Amino acid sequence: MRMDEDRVVAQVHRLSLRELRLWVREGWVQPAQGTDGPVFDELDVARIRLLCDLKKDMDLPSKALPVVLSLIDRLHETRRNLRCLVDAIDMQPEEVRRTVVASFRSRRGVEPTPEDER
Amino acid sequence: MIFWAIPKSAAAMMRGEIDASGQERSERQYYHQYAGQDAGRRYDPGMTPEDYGDAADFFSDLFGRRNHSGGGGARQEFHARGHDLRYHLDVDFMDAVRGAKRSVTMPDSKDIAISIPPCVSDGQTLRLRGKGAPGFGKGPPGDALVTIGIRPHPIFTRDEDDIEMELPITLDEAVLGSKVDVPTISGAVSMSIPKGASSGRRLRLKGKGVARTTGKAGDQYVRLKIVLPDKIDSTLEDLAKRWRDHSDFDPREDLRRKT
Repeated sequence: MRMDEDRVVAQVHRLSLRELRLWVREGWVQPAQGTDGPVFDELDVARIRLLCDLKKDMDLPSKALPVVLSLIDRLHETRRNLRCLVDAIDMQPEEVRRTVVASFRSRRGVEPTPEDER
Repeated sequence: MIFWAIPKSAAAMMRGEIDASGQERSERQYYHQYAGQDAGRRYDPGMTPEDYGDAADFFSDLFGRRNHSGGGGARQEFHARGHDLRYHLDVDFMDAVRGAKRSVTMPDSKDIAISIPPCVSDGQTLRLRGKGAPGFGKGPPGDALVTIGIRPHPIFTRDEDDIEMELPITLDEAVLGSKVDVPTISGAVSMSIPKGASSGRRLRLKGKGVARTTGKAGDQYVRLKIVLPDKIDSTLEDLAKRWRDHSDFDPREDLRRKT
């Protein structure tokens, strides 16, 4: 799905063209550059909806928005990285996996389960 | 980690599942669903090793997109790869099939030349190394990511390497069979219409689809469509009447049996 500015504004009812352009200028939304202007995909539109939630429903001031956005972006990056790490651990031999899990649990203060002991 | 300590309702609000007053919302695709996928990487802030505290060395080795040089010094120099810039380029159907050279204008009004390889598909992304934003410090520049959109063709449609088109034919060509010229993406070819061909019949022109430099070419599929003239003349009318009077052919027999 690819949308130009007009289609995005038509689809996201709470959004005006002026706001959309401002958000792109601020770098909060980063559409692809097309020959006739910006082109938005699903990820961009979902992000625009998130921005509408934050700004309009939760009345978050514009000053605070970059901080909140950056926290959300960091959170997603961390989660994705964490998932990669988990996938990498998953590919290890059983013994290595056990050691990692046991070590992780002990650090978090979780009691080892009988399975870990085995 | 702190974000797992967020109260349930606040977490749901962040995900956009409920609004500030706790009302549940109707079904829709939320940002976190997209951001969790690989495509979400685009909005990653690019965390620095400092973000990982004591585990900085480990994580910078692991994920490190940003290189901090001179580990020993109190003050570290900052180097980072530049951002990727994303472009969208619509090309004509034939350009996508044959390949073409185009240029896109960057926000700073510089042009970058893009050579579109033959057989590019709709939505495919081309990566132009080093054509993105300049790096920080001694970091390398980012890449330009160009997503290709293909404009529809008035006659041809494409399914991967196969081409499909509709071919209008006359009644006599359908009844008697004939040889007709058919357009393909590489010029017109002569094709035999078999005797007694019905509308909707699909004929294959082997190897007349999109040809890749490696591997075999796709095929062109020709869907026949019998077209009658706008004005039916008396000859055709007489012919039809005579045929009706002696024919017991019923194309809807199957239809009736199945309903």
